[in-house]
Amino acid sequence: MSGVTVVFFKELVDNLRDRRSLFSTLGYALLGPGIILLLIVVMGNMFSEEMEKPLELPVSGRENAPALVQFLKQRNVVLQDAPADPREAVRKGDVDVVLIIPDDYGEDFGAGQPATVQIVADSSRTSAMPNAQRARNLVEQYARQTGALRLLARGVSPTVVNAVSVETVDVSTPQSQALIFLSMLPYFLVMAVFLGGATVIIDMTAGERERNSLEPLLINPIERWQLVLGKLLASLPFSTATLIASLAAFAAVFNVFPVERFMGMQLSVDVLALLNIFLICLPMVFLAGALQMVIATFTRTHKEAQTYVNWLPLIPALPGMALAFLPVKPTVWAMLIPTFGQQMLINQLMRGEVLDSAHVLVSIVSTLLVAGALILVAIHLYGREDILFGKK
Amino acid sequence: MIQVTNLHKSFGEVHALRGVTFHAPDGQITGLLGPNGAGKTTTLRVLYTLLAPDVGDAFVDGFDVRAQALQVQERIGALPDARGVYPRLTARENVRYYGRLHGLDNAALEPRIDALIELLDMHDIAERRADGFSTGERLKVAIARAIIHDPANVLLDEPTNGLDVMSTRAMRDTIRRLRDEGRCVLFSSHIMQEVAVLCDHIVIIARGKVVGAGSPDELRRIANTDDLEDAFVDIIGTEEGLE
Repeated sequence: MSGVTVVFFKELVDNLRDRRSLFSTLGYALLGPGIILLLIVVMGNMFSEEMEKPLELPVSGRENAPALVQFLKQRNVVLQDAPADPREAVRKGDVDVVLIIPDDYGEDFGAGQPATVQIVADSSRTSAMPNAQRARNLVEQYARQTGALRLLARGVSPTVVNAVSVETVDVSTPQSQALIFLSMLPYFLVMAVFLGGATVIIDMTAGERERNSLEPLLINPIERWQLVLGKLLASLPFSTATLIASLAAFAAVFNVFPVERFMGMQLSVDVLALLNIFLICLPMVFLAGALQMVIATFTRTHKEAQTYVNWLPLIPALPGMALAFLPVKPTVWAMLIPTFGQQMLINQLMRGEVLDSAHVLVSIVSTLLVAGALILVAIHLYGREDILFGKK
Repeated sequence: MIQVTNLHKSFGEVHALRGVTFHAPDGQITGLLGPNGAGKTTTLRVLYTLLAPDVGDAFVDGFDVRAQALQVQERIGALPDARGVYPRLTARENVRYYGRLHGLDNAALEPRIDALIELLDMHDIAERRADGFSTGERLKVAIARAIIHDPANVLLDEPTNGLDVMSTRAMRDTIRRLRDEGRCVLFSSHIMQEVAVLCDHIVIIARGKVVGAGSPDELRRIANTDDLEDAFVDIIGTEEGLE
């Protein structure tokens, strides 16, 4: 057996016996799917409950607009007394929304002037927005209805005020609406790749030094590059397993779990797309391993290495999170950035788009080149005398 | 056979070695004696190719530790200062790993492991995972894996550190046996009595330099005293660090 193989099998057996690395592999794999599942259940419940429930609406100055109040009551609104200080109550989150009907409402209304009402809401509180939106829609509905009646009373057809009628055609399928949730998936996959092998790599590098077994190991007749490569390869089954487990869990969430009951639509990701996602993620497995190897070599202790390596997934997270808000078109330049290109490609696969093979190629090659360079750095670091002491 | 000539090594401001020269022949036990921090461990690390000397040469069986590291490593069995074993592997698996790193195939390796288990009296720990081994048990594993490839040169850094009386005696027997098999045994210690009972040849190191060398008798003659301990103190010039 060559040196690489000897090191590989020893580290594989050694780490398979480590419960900690097995649990962390599984735990990191289920983290992303777990979070998405939780979001689907919680947010799904939130939406459906809000929509079916009668709207509880605190109204101040009810006596100023009996007709509006009557209209609201007919539309399944439960009117409540407004708090003494509506703005403060909304700001503190005591109530979602308050409708204020000023004293001069009746006067303006009677005179045919625009009568003003106020809707007090806090747009920074997402959970309050559905109710605020419902209140606003109802008031606008009332305004349109009253306006139309006034025109009719003057013998004018209400349609003449609609110079332009806007009709929004929503082409989003239930699938693409669900992409709000799916857009988080690429990042969770990157995270699974970056965390899956971390425990194993720290154990093999910083851990080996801390257990005082590095110095005797280095005295054996084996080149340092063989040692680095053997250890790196031994971490790959763990990170790959994390990736596979993560994909399987996502598939279960989207294809098996009754998402429809919560979201009103079913998500689905087909097996071929999952397979393609897996293949696109594979180069990142090398990248993550090489990067962690370099970092763990710098650090003095197991604990120090763990601190750094656990923060590592946040770096690919930043462009990934930007991706969720800023739609960046997949370009060759984006593909050059390891982890960023992969997240874009995964996004495309989730949307069922056809991938540009040049993009796939650039992403794979650039990621593997960066990984290769990092492996060379790790080998260089292992060749230095300081490797014994763990100094910079 | 080990030949060391005029080794110098610095770590930043610290001048660890300032000209170490000695010769350790086959079939003899050579002791490196010196107070803590004298440069014993640094000298040994140069010999097992982990540190490159700034100045000077070191040869093992004629191979240069700098230019021919792999050949040197094939010819030495080392028990370094750090002697951690893998806690999740059994004693036998720990030893087997080193045998494979030396390129031994299974046919040669397994009988050799069995022989070492017999030799070092490791029957009760051979199939147990090393997690929870006592210092003595860990040391046996470390010795076994160091000599799994039957090296002609054995380098031991403070081999009896932390051992109880019985284990120390067993360790001394092992060292003598290695010598009787014709190997070159080089071991470091800061304990004078130990060096005195074991060594055929003593090299005294202090502050990074060799300050005296010879058989126990020769050292007594040089220092002009019958008491070996007085001889050491006289040669080193201080009692600091000796037991």
